[in-house]
Amino acid sequence: MARRVINKKRHLGLQQLSAFADTGRTFLGPVKPSKFIIDEESHESVVVGSTVRLLESLDLSSAVGQLLSEAVQAQHNTYRTGASTLLLLVGAWSSAVEECLHLGVPMSLIVSGMSEGLDSCIEEVTSLQVPVHDVFDHIDSTKIFSEVESLNVSLCPFLQMPSDTGLILKERDLKDVASQSLTTCSLSERPVKSAKLFRPQATVGADKNTSQTPQTLRNSLLADSRCRQSVLTHSRHCNREASDQWTSKHGAAAPQTDRCGLGELAVGLSHGDHSSMRLVEGAVRLQHQNTSVCQSSWKMPFMFDISRVFTCCLPGLPEAFSCVCPGYVTVVSMFSATVLEDLQNQPLGVVLIEGDLTENFRHLGFNKSANVQTVLESMKKLQQDSSEELWTNHVLQVLVKFNVNLVLVQGTVSKHLIEKCVHTKRLVIGSVNGSVMQAFAEASGAVQVSYITQVSENSVGRGVSVTFWRSSPLDVGDGISRMAILLKTEGINLVTVVLTDPVTAQMQTKEDRFWTCAYRLHYALKEQKVFLGGGAVEFLCLSHLRILMEQPLNKGDQICSGGLHNTSSWLASSLALYRPTVLKCLADGWHKYLSTVICNTANYSSEFEARTFIQHHLQNATDSGSPSSYILNEYSKLNSGVFNSGISNEPEQIPRVYDIVTPKIEAWRRALDLVLLVLQTDSEIITGSGHTQIKSQESEGFLFV
Amino acid sequence: MSRLEAKKPSLCKSEPLTSERVRATLSVLKGIVASCYGPSGRLKQLHNGLGGSVCTTSQSSALLANLSVTHPILKILTTSVQNHVSCFSDCGLFTAILCCNLIENVQRLDLTPTTLIKLNKHLLSLCTSYLKSEVCGCRIPVDFSSTQILLCLVRSVLTSKPACMLTRKEVDHISTLILRAFLLTIPENAGDHISLGNSIIVPLKGQRVVDSTVLPGILIELSEIRLMKILPIKKSDSLKVALFRVSLSGDLSDTGEGSVVVSYGVSLENAVLDQLLNLGRQLVSDHVDLVLCQKVIHPSLKQFLGVHRVLAIDRVGAALMEPLSKVTGTQPIGSLGSISPSSYGSVKDLCTAKFGFKWFFHLIPNEATVCSLLLCNRNGTAWDELKLTCQTALHVLQLTIKEPCVLLGGGCTETHLAAYIRHKTFNDPESILKDSGCTSTELQLITEAFCTALESLTGSLEHDGGEILTDMKYGHFWSVQADSPSVVNWPDLLTRCGCGLHNSREELNWSFLRTSRHPFAPLLCLPHEAVGSANNLTLDCFTAKLSGLQVAVETANLILDLSYVIEDKN
Repeated sequence: MARRVINKKRHLGLQQLSAFADTGRTFLGPVKPSKFIIDEESHESVVVGSTVRLLESLDLSSAVGQLLSEAVQAQHNTYRTGASTLLLLVGAWSSAVEECLHLGVPMSLIVSGMSEGLDSCIEEVTSLQVPVHDVFDHIDSTKIFSEVESLNVSLCPFLQMPSDTGLILKERDLKDVASQSLTTCSLSERPVKSAKLFRPQATVGADKNTSQTPQTLRNSLLADSRCRQSVLTHSRHCNREASDQWTSKHGAAAPQTDRCGLGELAVGLSHGDHSSMRLVEGAVRLQHQNTSVCQSSWKMPFMFDISRVFTCCLPGLPEAFSCVCPGYVTVVSMFSATVLEDLQNQPLGVVLIEGDLTENFRHLGFNKSANVQTVLESMKKLQQDSSEELWTNHVLQVLVKFNVNLVLVQGTVSKHLIEKCVHTKRLVIGSVNGSVMQAFAEASGAVQVSYITQVSENSVGRGVSVTFWRSSPLDVGDGISRMAILLKTEGINLVTVVLTDPVTAQMQTKEDRFWTCAYRLHYALKEQKVFLGGGAVEFLCLSHLRILMEQPLNKGDQICSGGLHNTSSWLASSLALYRPTVLKCLADGWHKYLSTVICNTANYSSEFEARTFIQHHLQNATDSGSPSSYILNEYSKLNSGVFNSGISNEPEQIPRVYDIVTPKIEAWRRALDLVLLVLQTDSEIITGSGHTQIKSQESEGFLFV
Repeated sequence: MSRLEAKKPSLCKSEPLTSERVRATLSVLKGIVASCYGPSGRLKQLHNGLGGSVCTTSQSSALLANLSVTHPILKILTTSVQNHVSCFSDCGLFTAILCCNLIENVQRLDLTPTTLIKLNKHLLSLCTSYLKSEVCGCRIPVDFSSTQILLCLVRSVLTSKPACMLTRKEVDHISTLILRAFLLTIPENAGDHISLGNSIIVPLKGQRVVDSTVLPGILIELSEIRLMKILPIKKSDSLKVALFRVSLSGDLSDTGEGSVVVSYGVSLENAVLDQLLNLGRQLVSDHVDLVLCQKVIHPSLKQFLGVHRVLAIDRVGAALMEPLSKVTGTQPIGSLGSISPSSYGSVKDLCTAKFGFKWFFHLIPNEATVCSLLLCNRNGTAWDELKLTCQTALHVLQLTIKEPCVLLGGGCTETHLAAYIRHKTFNDPESILKDSGCTSTELQLITEAFCTALESLTGSLEHDGGEILTDMKYGHFWSVQADSPSVVNWPDLLTRCGCGLHNSREELNWSFLRTSRHPFAPLLCLPHEAVGSANNLTLDCFTAKLSGLQVAVETANLILDLSYVIEDKN
């Protein structure tokens, strides 16, 4: 990697930061061009499609580089999204902070001013949060899932549904069906008590429905939500189940009405990656179906449990083969696959082994004594079989005894054992993911064990079925033919997303993108709120900071505001003088963010044009007096380039864009934390064996203690 | 064949302090510690230059532990500071800077080391007896019936470490947690002899700081979520606990050198496993509900216990053993032989809890003086710094309960003390001269050096080019922007003194700290109403600061007293 020439008179750490951060600029926004990274020594190259993968491939061994990669990793590991935002803001803020230093702003004031500014922005942007309520109550209905609190509803575009009478009628039908089946359902479940409890609610619901007119959609929405709040939990469940049944019968209505609930949320969060998001949505729907079928979980509200989603990458297949399957899809060798002919279409007994299934495997924490020797006392006892053979036979005996035909192993499996098992029509699969094991344990009643000797009748699971996922063999890229198979059991809470791509090099990128989308939807559902996306939040920060800059600090505020911990210092009194500069520096970060997004989505050819465009809107927003209502207004028009991703093919159907809340805000915080941490660092101390070197940034040379 | 080599002669250097190299390295060390001092102190990146982890810090403990100094004089200094920090946690930088300042100032004087040392000692005792006296004007008694002073103390500790990267809201949140954690370690029924419990800091990196929390009892991280399903059924109002120190993994204990010979067909592993299962049977027949093991439990034993509804938690770790034994009242079991019933203990309840992405077992003891502080911070390096800082704050609270008073922080104690010493030696030099047999000029010189050392220490609080003033009434610390016009209306320019007790509207006179001024008597005895009304004070731990002062002066004396350094070069 070529590094920018770093001017020695300025803050080295900040310059390094902005140089590193610049590499990831193009990954921001919905259009993410891939990058080739070539190792000049080994001539190996990789294609990277995300910030995290990019930083993994770069040499970040310097102290600042390491802090940067630590911060990106921390964000990625916690939220799986927001790494590009973090990286870009790190770059933008470190150059802006450097500029501040250049202008002579005291360092402590930069630190306090920027954290205060960010806090204030974070508070401000809560006005752009959209609550996500009970998406799954309306998973297949025409219901709108969100409302904007404390704002005039007309400002929020996606509440203005086309007042299509047909849709409403359908909805009424659905409701009626629901309320009918609701009583029966409740009667069957809780014969006496719940029937009494339900009836009033059911009639209220019906009344509302009959009085509903197309013009008063919003009213009915509110009424419905009120009604929904008062309905008991189990009634909601029954309601949901009923509507599910209904849509499965009248499946044709589903795609048409689908966009309002989960569908719209998913599209809004896809950020241009519709194909991945479609798979995520499919996974959520499958999981939801699963949990609502499963009677035991009726008390719990549905949560998108991402640990029960699993990906299986099959490079070499055309993209169209990507799909979502209930159960576990994995790849086995052609040899193992031969047993499938016999095992198909019958319930199998399963054993789950955590750890390896080899003779020499011992559980973690077991120390083998090296100095134990075995001696033979007489030749009579000598057997022909090796100990491996003995062990394999023992394993087979156990499998036969408990009538087990399928063994899932978390670690590796002895090759010899696999062969033996295939001969006796048993399938052993190694390297199975831990959460897959867990899912099979729950669904089949199996108990995970470490050793085959632990297997007992109680620890064997029953009722697992196995089939070919696809009848023809596939080549996963290493020239060896394998078969993809599908393992399933009744009620298993496990969804496998099969990802296919004809280009092997893109497989990683594809998987990463899938997970990004999955986590985005996961957080939206978990937090029950989303931001209006497409730059709306950043734009609000920008205009909010502009207003803050112009606001004079009043003397009374001075001591409590400003973010300074130490209010007695002279810095507190000179805060007013430097505050606008510092806030402008903070605003520069989002300015850069927005212009980069706009440039990357190719709405504007140059950054200059993008900046002019932002400036124009910024002026309008400030002039309007209330930036947040300006944004909501513009958002409802949806023709303004700031707020749409601009990559939709159908201009009349531009989907709304949403963003997740906490991961975004945390990415901001992390970015600022990193910049401020580096800003406040004045020297690097290299600790080593024997001698210590201190590299001071002011005096360049090494100082020895 | 062995070869004998003539021993190298030892290297002997006289007057080590006069060497240019020693002075230079001393000033580098002082530069490092002084630039870290205070809430706006600069941070240092510590790393090994080979891609190891990077530690960003401004704490003396982290700094000195990683700084491998070579010169014996510096070693004396760093070792005494480290000793002080290990006993008191706080005021390490204070000690180091003061010691460097004293050496530097005193060196300029043309006086014999004996005189220097004698007078330094006198001045030190003057300081300590003043700080301990009732009339001390920079000391506040702690009222344990309100949290105000204690919260200020904790907050001062937290804000003095900028690498924790806390916003003001987060500082408030963490301060409250630390205070709560501390209060949870105080036993409810205190007899004559109080023994405080401990707060265990549980790491939860990557989460938001405001997600940090305090829970009574102990949290044990869970590696396997599926264990949740087999929570024991409570038969009575408490659960019977067995705590194992010995590994139950089923391996052979260390067989020593040589080899063990066994005959074919004998499996030592199975023999050990049988023994473990016997142990399991005893645990079950003794109606134990919960088995905790520091190390690993054999999967088969776990399965056996699970079948009998006994919950087994392994890999608890050495750090938790002591608090676990204390909380449950168990004797940690160290052998696989039979267990004496007296080694069992009990807990009130057990549940699982999820914080961030981690699952924990939460052990709720019958009588709790142990609590868990679940500490979150966004990135690793800031978390490490926050952990050290929280430990310091908890320690400071413990010291404060022993000696229930605090000192004014933010530089005010130092400037006040300097004013007091100056005044004392100017007005009443006889009492010192009588004992020491020095001249009054010598006394004045040393006093000046001593007081300047204290005052320039407070100057190290300023890192953005501000200037320090002191008022002529209280002798407190005031900071002002550099290059302020000479004739100004000070009350307009100044806001509050360093500790936050006084504000500039009090009709005070100010003078620059660096200029000389006539000795004045700072106001003794803090007015009570002033302390009661101020709610945002910067405070320092009394015990730690007093010890820091003593260590600094005594170490400086020791270093000044060195006339030879003898190095064995072999």
